[in-house]
Amino acid sequence: MNEQKRFVLIGAGGIGTWLAAGLARLLEFKYPGSALIIVDGDNYEEKNKERQSFTQMGNKAIATANELTQQFPKTMFIPVPKWVVSDDFKGVADDESPKIPASQLITEGDVVFAVVDNFAARKVLFDAASNLTNVDVFTGGNDDALFGSIYHYQRRHGADVTDHPVNTHPEYDNPPDKNPGELSCQDRAKIEGGTQLLATNMAVAAFLLGRVQKTIISNQSPDEAEIYFDLGIGKSEPYDRRPVNQPAYS
Amino acid sequence: MTAINNSGSAAQPSGGQMANVRFGVYTQPAPVAGKTVREVREQFSKLWGIPSDAVAYKGKEKLAEDHVITASDNIEFHRRAGEKG
Repeated sequence: MNEQKRFVLIGAGGIGTWLAAGLARLLEFKYPGSALIIVDGDNYEEKNKERQSFTQMGNKAIATANELTQQFPKTMFIPVPKWVVSDDFKGVADDESPKIPASQLITEGDVVFAVVDNFAARKVLFDAASNLTNVDVFTGGNDDALFGSIYHYQRRHGADVTDHPVNTHPEYDNPPDKNPGELSCQDRAKIEGGTQLLATNMAVAAFLLGRVQKTIISNQSPDEAEIYFDLGIGKSEPYDRRPVNQPAYS
Repeated sequence: MTAINNSGSAAQPSGGQMANVRFGVYTQPAPVAGKTVREVREQFSKLWGIPSDAVAYKGKEKLAEDHVITASDNIEFHRRAGEKG
Protein backbone atom coordinates (compact mmCIF):
# COMPACT_ATOMS: atom_id res chain seq x y z
CA MET A 1 0.00 0.00 0.00
CA ASN A 2 1.35 3.39 -0.96
CA GLU A 3 1.07 5.59 2.09
CA GLN A 4 1.39 9.30 1.41
CA LYS A 5 2.76 11.82 3.90
CA ARG A 6 2.64 15.55 4.43
CA PHE A 7 5.91 16.87 5.78
CA VAL A 8 6.16 20.55 6.73
CA LEU A 9 9.65 22.06 6.94
CA ILE A 10 9.89 25.47 8.61
CA GLY A 11 13.28 27.01 8.00
CA ALA A 12 15.42 26.49 4.89
CA GLY A 13 18.71 27.73 6.26
CA GLY A 14 21.78 26.14 7.83
CA ILE A 15 19.99 23.02 9.04
CA GLY A 16 16.97 23.21 6.76
CA THR A 17 18.71 22.95 3.41
CA TRP A 18 20.47 19.73 4.41
CA LEU A 19 17.36 18.37 6.05
CA ALA A 20 15.25 19.19 2.99
CA ALA A 21 17.57 17.15 0.80
CA GLY A 22 17.16 14.16 3.11
CA LEU A 23 13.42 14.49 3.54
CA ALA A 24 12.94 14.78 -0.22
CA ARG A 25 14.73 11.47 -0.71
CA LEU A 26 12.71 9.76 2.02
CA LEU A 27 9.43 10.92 0.50
CA GLU A 28 10.42 10.19 -3.08
CA PHE A 29 11.42 6.60 -2.43
CA LYS A 30 9.43 5.60 0.67
CA TYR A 31 6.20 7.54 0.14
CA PRO A 32 5.84 8.55 -3.54
CA GLY A 33 3.08 11.06 -4.16
CA SER A 34 3.73 12.82 -0.85
CA ALA A 35 4.18 16.53 -0.21
CA LEU A 36 6.99 18.53 1.36
CA ILE A 37 5.85 22.02 2.29
CA ILE A 38 8.79 24.40 2.71
CA VAL A 39 8.20 27.54 4.75
CA ASP A 40 10.58 30.47 5.03
CA GLY A 41 10.10 34.22 4.68
CA ASP A 42 13.81 34.93 4.32
CA ASN A 43 16.01 35.27 1.24
CA TYR A 44 19.30 33.57 0.41
CA GLU A 45 22.36 35.76 0.35
CA GLU A 46 25.77 34.96 -1.10
CA LYS A 47 27.29 34.76 2.38
CA ASN A 48 24.89 31.91 3.26
CA LYS A 49 26.75 29.55 0.90
CA GLU A 50 29.34 28.85 3.57
CA ARG A 51 26.84 26.62 5.40
CA GLN A 52 23.71 26.34 3.25
CA SER A 53 23.03 24.36 0.09
CA PHE A 54 21.33 26.36 -2.68
CA THR A 55 21.93 27.31 -6.31
CA GLN A 56 19.28 30.00 -6.75
CA MET A 57 19.05 33.35 -5.04
CA GLY A 58 15.78 34.78 -3.79
CA ASN A 59 13.28 33.50 -1.27
CA LYS A 60 14.54 30.40 0.52
CA ALA A 61 11.29 28.43 0.36
CA ILE A 62 10.79 29.08 -3.35
CA ALA A 63 14.41 28.44 -4.30
CA THR A 64 14.59 25.18 -2.35
CA ALA A 65 11.26 23.92 -3.69
CA ASN A 66 12.34 24.72 -7.26
CA GLU A 67 15.60 22.83 -6.92
CA LEU A 68 14.02 19.75 -5.33
CA THR A 69 11.17 19.64 -7.86
CA GLN A 70 13.70 19.17 -10.64
CA GLN A 71 15.32 16.23 -8.86
CA PHE A 72 12.36 14.38 -7.35
CA PRO A 73 9.37 14.18 -9.70
CA LYS A 74 7.26 11.85 -7.51
CA THR A 75 7.12 14.35 -4.66
CA MET A 76 5.23 17.63 -4.53
CA PHE A 77 7.27 20.53 -3.16
CA ILE A 78 5.13 23.44 -2.05
CA PRO A 79 6.87 26.71 -1.13
CA VAL A 80 5.33 29.00 1.45
CA PRO A 81 7.41 32.22 1.38
CA LYS A 82 6.10 33.45 4.70
CA TRP A 83 7.09 33.90 8.33
CA VAL A 84 5.30 31.73 10.88
CA VAL A 85 3.60 33.69 13.64
CA SER A 86 1.40 32.87 16.61
CA ASP A 87 -2.36 32.85 16.24
CA ASP A 88 -2.71 35.93 18.43
CA PHE A 89 -0.12 37.98 16.51
CA LYS A 90 -1.48 41.51 16.23
CA GLY A 91 1.20 43.03 14.02
CA VAL A 92 0.90 44.02 10.40
CA ALA A 93 1.60 41.59 7.56
CA ASP A 94 3.05 43.84 4.87
CA ASP A 95 4.23 42.79 1.42
CA GLU A 96 7.83 42.55 2.59
CA SER A 97 6.96 40.34 5.55
CA PRO A 98 4.12 37.99 4.62
CA LYS A 99 3.05 35.86 7.56
CA ILE A 100 1.10 32.70 8.27
CA PRO A 101 -0.31 31.70 11.67
CA ALA A 102 1.04 28.36 12.85
CA SER A 103 -2.43 26.85 13.23
CA GLN A 104 -3.15 27.56 9.56
CA LEU A 105 0.07 25.92 8.52
CA ILE A 106 0.02 22.57 10.29
CA THR A 107 -2.82 20.11 10.45
CA GLU A 108 -3.73 16.62 11.63
CA GLY A 109 -1.24 13.91 10.71
CA ASP A 110 1.52 16.30 9.72
CA VAL A 111 5.18 15.61 10.34
CA VAL A 112 6.62 19.02 11.15
CA PHE A 113 10.27 20.10 11.19
CA ALA A 114 10.95 23.34 13.01
CA VAL A 115 14.55 24.23 12.21
CA VAL A 116 14.37 27.96 12.64
CA ASP A 117 17.07 29.84 14.54
CA ASN A 118 15.14 30.93 17.61
CA PHE A 119 13.13 29.44 20.47
CA ALA A 120 10.19 31.82 20.09
CA ALA A 121 9.13 30.58 16.66
CA ARG A 122 9.60 26.96 17.69
CA LYS A 123 7.34 27.50 20.68
CA VAL A 124 4.65 28.88 18.38
CA LEU A 125 4.77 25.64 16.41
CA PHE A 126 4.84 23.39 19.49
CA ASP A 127 1.85 25.25 20.91
CA ALA A 128 -0.11 24.91 17.67
CA ALA A 129 0.70 21.20 17.55
CA SER A 130 -0.48 20.73 21.13
CA ASN A 131 -4.02 21.46 19.91
CA LEU A 132 -3.92 18.64 17.35
CA THR A 133 -4.82 14.99 17.91
CA ASN A 134 -2.07 13.28 15.90
CA VAL A 135 1.09 15.14 14.95
CA ASP A 136 4.87 14.94 15.14
CA VAL A 137 7.06 18.01 15.59
CA PHE A 138 10.81 17.62 15.29
CA THR A 139 13.11 20.49 16.12
CA GLY A 140 16.84 20.91 16.29
CA GLY A 141 19.40 23.60 16.80
CA ASN A 142 23.01 24.26 17.55
CA ASP A 143 25.23 26.87 19.10
CA ASP A 144 28.15 28.63 17.44
CA ALA A 145 30.48 25.73 18.05
CA LEU A 146 30.09 21.95 17.93
CA PHE A 147 27.17 21.48 20.33
CA GLY A 148 23.64 20.77 19.18
CA SER A 149 20.42 19.07 20.21
CA ILE A 150 17.19 17.77 18.76
CA TYR A 151 13.72 17.21 20.21
CA HIS A 152 10.73 15.15 19.07
CA TYR A 153 7.29 16.16 20.32
CA GLN A 154 4.69 13.52 19.43
CA ARG A 155 0.94 13.43 19.99
CA ARG A 156 -1.34 10.46 19.36
CA HIS A 157 -5.06 10.12 20.03
CA GLY A 158 -5.15 13.60 21.56
CA ALA A 159 -2.47 12.90 24.18
CA ASP A 160 1.22 13.70 24.47
CA VAL A 161 3.37 10.66 23.73
CA THR A 162 6.39 12.82 24.51
CA ASP A 163 6.28 15.94 26.63
CA HIS A 164 5.81 19.43 25.29
CA PRO A 165 9.35 20.83 25.67
CA VAL A 166 8.23 23.63 27.98
CA ASN A 167 8.09 20.96 30.70
CA THR A 168 11.86 20.57 30.82
CA HIS A 169 13.13 23.65 28.97
CA PRO A 170 12.63 27.12 30.47
CA GLU A 171 13.88 28.64 27.20
CA TYR A 172 10.73 27.38 25.50
CA ASP A 173 8.48 28.49 28.34
CA ASN A 174 9.89 32.02 28.26
CA PRO A 175 11.93 32.39 25.06
CA PRO A 176 14.92 34.72 25.49
CA ASP A 177 14.76 35.64 21.80
CA LYS A 178 12.18 37.07 19.42
CA ASN A 179 10.33 35.38 16.59
CA PRO A 180 11.81 37.16 13.55
CA GLY A 181 8.48 36.78 11.79
CA GLU A 182 6.96 39.08 14.39
CA LEU A 183 9.63 41.78 13.98
CA SER A 184 9.82 44.60 11.49
CA CYS A 185 12.18 44.24 8.53
CA GLN A 186 14.54 46.71 10.18
CA ASP A 187 14.64 44.85 13.49
CA ARG A 188 14.98 41.51 11.74
CA ALA A 189 18.01 42.77 9.83
CA LYS A 190 19.73 43.55 13.12
CA ILE A 191 19.65 39.91 14.29
CA GLU A 192 23.12 38.45 14.17
CA GLY A 193 23.48 35.14 12.39
CA GLY A 194 26.35 34.12 14.63
CA THR A 195 29.27 32.00 13.58
CA GLN A 196 27.70 28.60 13.17
CA LEU A 197 29.60 25.65 11.76
CA LEU A 198 28.65 23.57 8.75
CA ALA A 199 29.45 20.31 10.54
CA THR A 200 27.06 21.09 13.38
CA ASN A 201 24.25 22.14 11.05
CA MET A 202 24.64 18.89 9.11
CA ALA A 203 24.81 16.83 12.30
CA VAL A 204 21.51 18.27 13.53
CA ALA A 205 19.94 17.36 10.19
CA ALA A 206 21.39 13.84 10.39
CA PHE A 207 20.12 13.27 13.94
CA LEU A 208 16.66 14.44 12.87
CA LEU A 209 16.65 12.10 9.88
CA GLY A 210 17.62 9.30 12.23
CA ARG A 211 14.62 10.00 14.44
CA VAL A 212 12.35 10.08 11.38
CA GLN A 213 13.73 6.74 10.28
CA LYS A 214 12.96 5.18 13.67
CA THR A 215 9.69 6.82 14.68
CA ILE A 216 7.95 7.61 11.39
CA ILE A 217 9.22 5.11 8.83
CA SER A 218 9.71 2.23 11.28
CA ASN A 219 6.88 3.42 13.58
CA GLN A 220 8.81 2.69 16.75
CA SER A 221 8.35 4.35 20.12
CA PRO A 222 10.05 7.76 20.50
CA ASP A 223 11.90 6.72 23.65
CA GLU A 224 14.84 8.98 22.89
CA ALA A 225 12.82 12.12 22.26
CA GLU A 226 15.69 14.47 23.03
CA ILE A 227 19.30 13.98 22.03
CA TYR A 228 22.20 16.24 22.94
CA PHE A 229 25.46 15.95 21.03
CA ASP A 230 28.89 17.52 21.03
CA LEU A 231 31.00 16.88 17.96
CA GLY A 232 34.05 18.33 19.71
CA ILE A 233 34.25 15.50 22.23
CA GLY A 234 32.45 12.88 20.16
CA LYS A 235 29.56 12.32 22.54
CA SER A 236 25.80 12.14 22.25
CA GLU A 237 23.24 11.42 24.94
CA PRO A 238 19.55 10.49 24.55
CA TYR A 239 16.84 11.55 27.01
CA ASP A 240 13.48 9.85 27.46
CA ARG A 241 10.86 12.63 27.47
CA ARG A 242 7.76 10.48 27.64
CA PRO A 243 5.34 11.53 30.38
CA VAL A 244 5.41 9.53 33.57
CA ASN A 245 2.87 6.70 33.48
CA GLN A 246 2.76 6.82 29.72
CA PRO A 247 0.99 3.66 28.50
CA ALA A 248 2.82 1.28 26.21
CA TYR A 249 3.37 2.61 22.73
CA SER A 250 0.76 1.58 20.21
CA MET B 1 37.41 19.71 45.30
CA THR B 2 36.52 17.18 42.66
CA ALA B 3 39.43 15.63 40.83
CA ILE B 4 39.29 14.86 37.12
CA ASN B 5 40.62 11.53 35.98
CA ASN B 6 41.75 10.55 32.51
CA SER B 7 38.35 9.20 31.45
CA GLY B 8 36.70 12.59 31.88
CA SER B 9 34.64 11.32 34.80
CA ALA B 10 34.67 12.85 38.23
CA ALA B 11 36.60 10.88 40.83
CA GLN B 12 34.06 10.28 43.56
CA PRO B 13 34.49 9.90 47.28
CA SER B 14 33.23 6.53 48.40
CA GLY B 15 30.43 5.94 50.89
CA GLY B 16 27.23 7.57 49.56
CA GLN B 17 24.50 5.66 47.79
CA MET B 18 24.30 6.08 44.06
CA ALA B 19 22.14 8.40 42.02
CA ASN B 20 22.43 9.33 38.37
CA VAL B 21 23.57 12.85 37.48
CA ARG B 22 23.04 14.25 33.98
CA PHE B 23 23.80 17.43 32.08
CA GLY B 24 23.56 17.58 28.30
CA VAL B 25 25.86 14.97 26.79
CA TYR B 26 27.18 14.00 30.23
CA THR B 27 25.71 11.32 32.47
CA GLN B 28 27.27 9.54 35.41
CA PRO B 29 26.19 7.40 38.34
CA ALA B 30 27.66 8.98 41.46
CA PRO B 31 27.47 8.47 45.24
CA VAL B 32 25.53 11.69 45.83
CA ALA B 33 22.50 10.41 47.76
CA GLY B 34 22.13 12.56 50.87
CA LYS B 35 23.60 15.62 49.20
CA THR B 36 21.64 18.69 48.20
CA VAL B 37 21.15 19.86 44.63
CA ARG B 38 23.45 22.79 45.39
CA GLU B 39 26.22 20.48 46.55
CA VAL B 40 25.94 18.22 43.52
CA ARG B 41 26.01 21.19 41.16
CA GLU B 42 29.16 22.47 42.83
CA GLN B 43 30.71 19.04 42.55
CA PHE B 44 30.07 18.73 38.82
CA SER B 45 30.02 22.34 37.63
CA LYS B 46 33.68 22.72 36.82
CA LEU B 47 33.95 19.33 35.14
CA TRP B 48 30.86 19.66 32.97
CA GLY B 49 30.38 23.42 32.78
CA ILE B 50 27.01 23.47 34.50
CA PRO B 51 25.83 27.09 34.80
CA SER B 52 25.15 28.34 38.31
CA ASP B 53 21.51 29.01 37.40
CA ALA B 54 20.84 25.65 35.74
CA VAL B 55 17.59 24.27 37.15
CA ALA B 56 17.70 20.69 38.43
CA TYR B 57 14.90 18.31 37.49
CA LYS B 58 13.78 14.88 38.57
CA GLY B 59 11.56 13.97 35.65
CA LYS B 60 9.41 17.06 35.14
CA GLU B 61 9.71 18.07 38.80
CA LYS B 62 11.86 21.15 39.39
CA LEU B 63 14.06 20.66 42.42
CA ALA B 64 14.89 23.35 44.97
CA GLU B 65 18.52 24.10 45.73
CA ASP B 66 18.22 22.49 49.16
CA HIS B 67 16.41 19.38 47.89
CA VAL B 68 18.16 16.29 49.22
CA ILE B 69 18.88 13.63 46.64
CA THR B 70 17.91 10.08 47.44
CA ALA B 71 19.36 6.80 46.23
CA SER B 72 18.55 5.85 42.62
CA ASP B 73 17.30 9.34 41.77
CA ASN B 74 17.84 10.51 38.22
CA ILE B 75 18.89 14.15 38.55
CA GLU B 76 19.14 16.26 35.43
CA PHE B 77 20.62 19.73 35.37
CA HIS B 78 18.94 21.65 32.59
CA ARG B 79 21.06 22.11 29.50
CA ARG B 80 19.74 24.79 27.18
CA ALA B 81 18.77 23.36 23.82
CA GLY B 82 20.62 24.28 20.65
CA GLU B 83 19.14 27.55 19.44
CA LYS B 84 20.45 28.39 16.01
CA GLY B 85 19.98 26.81 12.65
